[in-house]
Amino acid sequence: MVIELLTKRYPGMRAWLMQRLTALVMAIYSVMALGRILLEQPSDYEAWLSFSQPWWWRVASLLFWISLSIHAWLGIRDVFKDYVPNASVRGLLLKLLVVMLWVYLAWATWLFLAYAGSADLVLR
Amino acid sequence: MRFSIYRFNPDVDKKPYMQNYDIALEDSDQMLLDALIRIKDLDDSLSLRKSCREGVCGSDSMNINGKNGLACITKLSDLDEPVVLRPMPGLPVIRDLVVDMTQFFEHYNSVKPYLINNDEPPETERLQSPEDRAKLDGLYECILCGACTTSCPSFWWNPETFVGPAGLLQAYRFIVDSRDQATEERLENLEAPDRLYRCHNIMNCVDVCPKKLNPSLAIAKIKDLKIKEASHAKTTGMFEKMVSKKQISIKRLND
Repeated sequence: MVIELLTKRYPGMRAWLMQRLTALVMAIYSVMALGRILLEQPSDYEAWLSFSQPWWWRVASLLFWISLSIHAWLGIRDVFKDYVPNASVRGLLLKLLVVMLWVYLAWATWLFLAYAGSADLVLR
Repeated sequence: MRFSIYRFNPDVDKKPYMQNYDIALEDSDQMLLDALIRIKDLDDSLSLRKSCREGVCGSDSMNINGKNGLACITKLSDLDEPVVLRPMPGLPVIRDLVVDMTQFFEHYNSVKPYLINNDEPPETERLQSPEDRAKLDGLYECILCGACTTSCPSFWWNPETFVGPAGLLQAYRFIVDSRDQATEERLENLEAPDRLYRCHNIMNCVDVCPKKLNPSLAIAKIKDLKIKEASHAKTTGMFEKMVSKKQISIKRLND
C-alpha cells in the first residue's frame, strides 16, 4: 500500500515518504548489526569475514546500502537546493553526487554479492 | 537604556546601517514598544509598524536581539543591552523596521484561509460538536505577525515556493474544521514538492511564536493526513475500477 504512494501522482509525498522508508530500513539494519556484533563479538579478521558471510546478511547489507544511497540523494539534493543558489553550479554538484552514489553502490554490490561470497577463497 | 536599531531609507541610503540610541526610560515604560515610541519621539524618521499594543494585531513583529517577536509584549527587563533591533529576516525591507509582507500574504491566500461549504447556509451559525471545536484550538489564534515564517530557513531559501509555517498552520486550521468540505482539495493543493515538504522540522517557528502556537505539529499532521487521504483515494480508485470491470462483464453477459 505504501509503495503505491511512491508514484508520480504524489511528487512531494514521494520524496518525503521515501526518505522515511529508507531511514527505517537503515535503522532496522543498524539495530541488527549492533545486536550481531554484541552477540558474536568478532575479534579478528577471520571472525569478521564469517560475520559477513551469511547470504541473508549480505542481502540485508545491500538493502542498507541501496537505502543509504536513496536517502543521501534526497537529503543532499535538498541541501544543495537551499544553499547553492547558482543553478549551473548546483547542477554540476548534483551530477557529481549521482556519479559518486552510483560508484559506491556498484562497489558495495560487488562487495556484498560477489566478493563476500568468495572471500574465503580469496584468503587462501 | 541602549538600543542599536537597523536603519535603511531606500530613498536616501545606499546601504543599511545600525544606529545607536541611548534613552532615559520612565517607570511606565515596561515593554519594548514603549521604548520605541519614546525613541520615535526623539527621532521621528524611525519607521515601524504598531497598532493594538497588546499582542493581538501582530503589526510590530521584528527581530529582537536575534529572535523574532512582538515589541509590544516583550518586556524591557528581559532584554540584554544594547538591544539590537532589526526588521524580520527573509522579506524585503521597505524602510527601517518595516518589511514588505506581500509574499507572506500571497502564501497565506494560496491555502484559501476561509471556510468552504457548499451546503445551503443555515439560518443561524453552522454548528460543531465541542470535540470538533476543540480541534481548532492552537490554530485559530494565529495573528499573522509573520514571526514564524520569517524565522524559518526553509522559507528564507525558498520564499517563492514554500508556503511557510503561518500559511500551513492556517491550511491545517481549515483541513480539520468539521464544517469545511474541501479537505481533499486542500491536501491536493499542498502536493507540489516545495509547498509543504520543504519543512524539515527545524522548529524555529515554534520557538518564536508570540502566541505559543505549534506550526511544526500542524505541518506534521498535514503530512499524516496526506498519506491517509492518498491511501484512501488509492483504495477507492481500485474499488471503482473493480466495480466498472464487473459492470462491463455483466453487460457482456446480458448481451
